[in-house]
Amino acid sequence: MPIPILIEHVITFVIVVLVVVLVLTFGFVAAAILRRRRRDRYFERLDDLRQQVFPLVGGLVEGTVDADKAFAALRDLSIKSDPAMFEQLVVERLPAPDKLPALSKLCDDLGLIKRWQQRLGGLADSRGLSALFVRVFRFGYLQRARAAQSLVAIRHRGSWPLLVKALQDAHPDVREVALRGLGTLAEPESLPALVECLQRVILQPATPGLSFRTVKAAIVNFPLSSAAELAPVLKHQHRRVRFLTTDVIREMVEKAAASEYGFTLSEKNFSAELMELFLNNLSYDENPDVRARAAPVIAYMRDIRAVPVLLALLEDPEWFVRLHTVRAMAKPKFETQLPEIARRLADPRWMVREAAVRTLQAFGAEGTALLYDYFLSSEDRYSREQIADEWQRAGLIPSLLAQYAAGRDGRERRVIEQLAHMGKTSYLVGLLLGTQDAGVRRKFLEDFGRHADGQIQAWVSHLAAHEADPEVRALAQARRAELAQAKRSR
Amino acid sequence: MMAVEWRDFFIHLMNIFNMIIVAYFFLANGGYTILMGLSLGSLLIYNRRLAYQGLEELRDSVVTPPVTVIMPAYNEQEVIVESVRSVLRTDYPYLEVVVVDDGSSDDSLNRLIAAYQLVKMDLIYRPRLVTEAVRGFYLNPAIPNLLVISKENGGKFDALNVGINACRTPYFCTLDADCILERDALLRLMRPIKRDPLNIVASGGIVRILNGCEVKDGQVVSVGLPDTALERFQVVEYLRGFLFGRTGWDILHGTLIVSGAFAVFHRETVIEAGGFHETTVSEDMELIVRLHRWARENERRIKMKFISDPVCWTEAPANRKNLAAQRRRWHLGLYQTLWLNSDMLFSRKFGRIGWLSYPFQLYVEAFGAPVEFLGYIMIPLALLLGIVPPSLFLLFVLLALAYGSFLSVGSVLMEELTYRRYPRYRDLLILLGYALLENVGYRQLVVWYRVQGFWRFLTGFQKWEMVTHGGAGG
Repeated sequence: MPIPILIEHVITFVIVVLVVVLVLTFGFVAAAILRRRRRDRYFERLDDLRQQVFPLVGGLVEGTVDADKAFAALRDLSIKSDPAMFEQLVVERLPAPDKLPALSKLCDDLGLIKRWQQRLGGLADSRGLSALFVRVFRFGYLQRARAAQSLVAIRHRGSWPLLVKALQDAHPDVREVALRGLGTLAEPESLPALVECLQRVILQPATPGLSFRTVKAAIVNFPLSSAAELAPVLKHQHRRVRFLTTDVIREMVEKAAASEYGFTLSEKNFSAELMELFLNNLSYDENPDVRARAAPVIAYMRDIRAVPVLLALLEDPEWFVRLHTVRAMAKPKFETQLPEIARRLADPRWMVREAAVRTLQAFGAEGTALLYDYFLSSEDRYSREQIADEWQRAGLIPSLLAQYAAGRDGRERRVIEQLAHMGKTSYLVGLLLGTQDAGVRRKFLEDFGRHADGQIQAWVSHLAAHEADPEVRALAQARRAELAQAKRSR
Repeated sequence: MMAVEWRDFFIHLMNIFNMIIVAYFFLANGGYTILMGLSLGSLLIYNRRLAYQGLEELRDSVVTPPVTVIMPAYNEQEVIVESVRSVLRTDYPYLEVVVVDDGSSDDSLNRLIAAYQLVKMDLIYRPRLVTEAVRGFYLNPAIPNLLVISKENGGKFDALNVGINACRTPYFCTLDADCILERDALLRLMRPIKRDPLNIVASGGIVRILNGCEVKDGQVVSVGLPDTALERFQVVEYLRGFLFGRTGWDILHGTLIVSGAFAVFHRETVIEAGGFHETTVSEDMELIVRLHRWARENERRIKMKFISDPVCWTEAPANRKNLAAQRRRWHLGLYQTLWLNSDMLFSRKFGRIGWLSYPFQLYVEAFGAPVEFLGYIMIPLALLLGIVPPSLFLLFVLLALAYGSFLSVGSVLMEELTYRRYPRYRDLLILLGYALLENVGYRQLVVWYRVQGFWRFLTGFQKWEMVTHGGAGG
C-alpha cells in the first residue's frame, strides 16, 4: 500500500530544499567575495612581477643591459615566481619583429622553449592536484594550445615539426592554434602538411577546428614563391578543390601585389607550371568559380597570352566571371583595352556594370573621359544610372562642377544636363548651396535655372529669397517667375 | 447544501492550481539551475581558451570576412552621433556602417549630417526585400564606409531590411542606435564564423548595461553601476539572462533568442529566409526561429552561436514607464513568435529546438508570467481559506524568494569568475546585495509588466512601444 503524502512530508521537503538553497546562496556570496580578493592579490603579484620582468627582458632583447647580470636576475625570478605568471609575462610584450630571434633565444636559455615543446607534445610538467584535475577532466588541451601559442608568439621556427604533428591533435583548439602558428612561421617545409589540410577541409567540410578560412589564412601567409606546392592540387578532379585552391593562390598573389608597387607575375616569383596551368587550364575550367578566381591572377602576368585570355573571360557567359575579370583589369597596363572594358558598362548585371565604372575610373583622365562619352551617348538608362551612382560615391561631383565652372569644352555642361534629366541633382545642389563662388551660381542659374528638376527649382527659390549677391538674386527671381509662368501656361 | 458544493469545487480548483504553481516552480527553477551549471563550467573553460584565441591573426588576415553594421534609428538624436562614432572606431579590418533613419521626427538625421559632413546623394536602391520608400542617401566621400539612409517610417524591422538591401558584405551586424560597441567586439563576434567549418548564420554577443558607465569618444572608459535601484536590478537581470541563459542554450545547441541589439547574421541566408518580418514586435527572435525553420525545410546545416566576450553596452530604461514599455514589448513579441511557430512544439523535425528550447520558452518563459502572477493571488487566498497551512505557506514563499536569489547570486558569481567587468569592490558588494533583493519587489514588478504583455497578446495588440533614451554614460 503506498504511503500517503502528508503535509508534514511536504513541509520537511520544503525545509530541506530551503536550507540547501540558502547554504548555496550564501556559499556563492562568499565565493564571489573570496574570488575577488584572490584575484586582486593575484593581479598585485602580477604587476609586481611585471615591473621586474619587463625591464630585464626588454634590456636583454635590445642589448642595453649587462647580459650576464640581467639573465641571472631573470633566471632567479623564473625560479622564485609562479611559473605560469612568469611565462605569461615573458611573451606578453613582444618586441619588434627583428628582435624576435633574440627573445626566442632568451626563452631557449631560460628553458621555456623546451617546457612549451614538452607541453605541446602532451607531456605534463605540473604535478599534484592540478595535474590530476587536468588528466581527469581532459583539460590538457588548454596547456597544449597555450604552449603552441607561446612558441608561435616568439616565432620559434624550430618548432614547426611539432606544430605539424599538432595538426593531428585530438582537440580542435590545438589543431587550430597549430594551423595558425604554421601560417605565422611560414616555414616552407611545413607547407605540404597545410596543403594536405586544405584538401581535407574541402573534401570533408565538417572537420572540427579546421575551417577552410583558417587553412586559407595560414597558407596565404607563405611567400608567393611557395605557391608551386599547390600546383598538383590545381589539377584535382574535384571541382571544389580546384576552385578553392585557385582562390588561395589568388589571395597570395593579391597579398604580394599589395606590398610591391608595379607588381607583376613572372617566372621569378611564379613557377612556369603554375603560369601554364592558369593560362591554359584554369581560365577554361568547366567550373566558372575557378575561371573567376583565375582572372585576377592572370591579370598580374607579364605574358603576352594573358590579354587574350582576359578578353575572353570578359565575355564569359557567367556574370561573376565577367565581374572578377573587369575588377582585375583595373591596372595601368590594360590601358589599351579600355574600349573592351567599357563594353561591360552595358552588361546586363548591375554588379558588372558597377565594377566596369570603377575600373574605368581607376584609369584617371582617360577612363573618366570614356565614362563621360558613354554617359552622354548611351541610351542604356541602367548604365547611366550606374555611372552617376559611382561618380557620387567617389566624390567626383565637386570636380565636375569645378570643371563646368571653369568653362571647359561644354562636355561637363552636357553631363550636368543629363544628371538633371535623370533627377540626380541632390549632390550638385548641395554643393551649390555651400559654395562661396557667386560666379558658379550665376552660371548654373543661366544654364539650368529653367530646368524642371525639383531640386534645382527649390534651389532657385532659395536663391531668389536668400542670395546675398543682388545680381544673382535678381536672376534667380527672374528664373522663378519664368518657371511660374511656364507652370501656369501648362 | 449548494453553497457547500460550490465551496468544495472552488477548494478543489485551488488545490489543482496550487499544484500547477508548485510544478511550475520546480520546473522553471530546475531548468534554470541546469542552465546555470552548464554555463558555469562552459564559461570557465571558455575564459581560459581566450588566451589563445588569435584576435591579432583575425585582424590581420586577408580572409576575415567584411561586415556591415546596420543601425536602425528612430528619434535617437541624443545618442546617435556618439553611437556611430563608436562603431566607426571599431577594430575590424573591413567594416561598413549603414545607419537607417526610420523617418525620425526629431533631429537625428540633421545631427548626423552635421557631425559627419554628409551630403545627400541620389543613389540606386535595389530592394531585394520589400520596404517602405527611401527618402535619400547621405555620404561623405571622405568617410566611404559610412552611409546614412533616410526612409519613411516603417518600424525597426523595415529599417533593418533597408539596411540589408544596402549591405554589400557577406555578413551584417545589427546594432541598436543606443548601443556602444567595445572596440574588439566585432572581431570577437566574427571569430566563430571564421573558425567553424559549418555555416554560422547568426552569432550574438553579450549586451551589458551602459547606465553608470563613463563614455568618452564613443568608448566606455570606466565601468560602474548606475545610481538607481531600478537600473541596478536590471544589471543583475542582464547578467543572469546573458551569462547563464544564452550561454546555457548555446551549449545545448538550442539558441532561440539572439539579441538583435548586437548580433551578426549571414546576409544571403537572411534574405533567402525573407528578412525581418512585421508579424511580431520582437523581430530578432522571430527571425531566429524562422531561420531554424528555413534550415529544416531546406535541409541546410546551419549553426547559431552565442559568445559571452564580445560586449555591446546599451542604455537600460531608467524609469518604470520605459521599463514597462520594454518588457511588455519583449513579452508580447515572445508570445507572438511562439504562437506563429506553434507547430515546432515537440516536433521531431525541429530536434532540440522542438523538444527543448521551444517548450522551455513556452512553458517557462511565456506561461511563467501569468502563472506566477496568479500564484501571487491564489496562494495567499488559499492561506486565507485554510487550504494551505500557514507554516507551509511561509516556507514556500521563503523558498521561492531564496531560489530566485540563488539564481541571481549565481549569475553575479559567474561574472566574478569570468569577466569581472565591475572593477570596484564596492560594486561587487552592491551587485550581490541587489541579487539577493531582486526577488522582493522588482521581480513582481517585472511579472506585472510581462502579464500586461500577455494581455496585449490575447487582445491582439500589435503596436511597437517606444522606449526613450536620454544618453546614458554621458
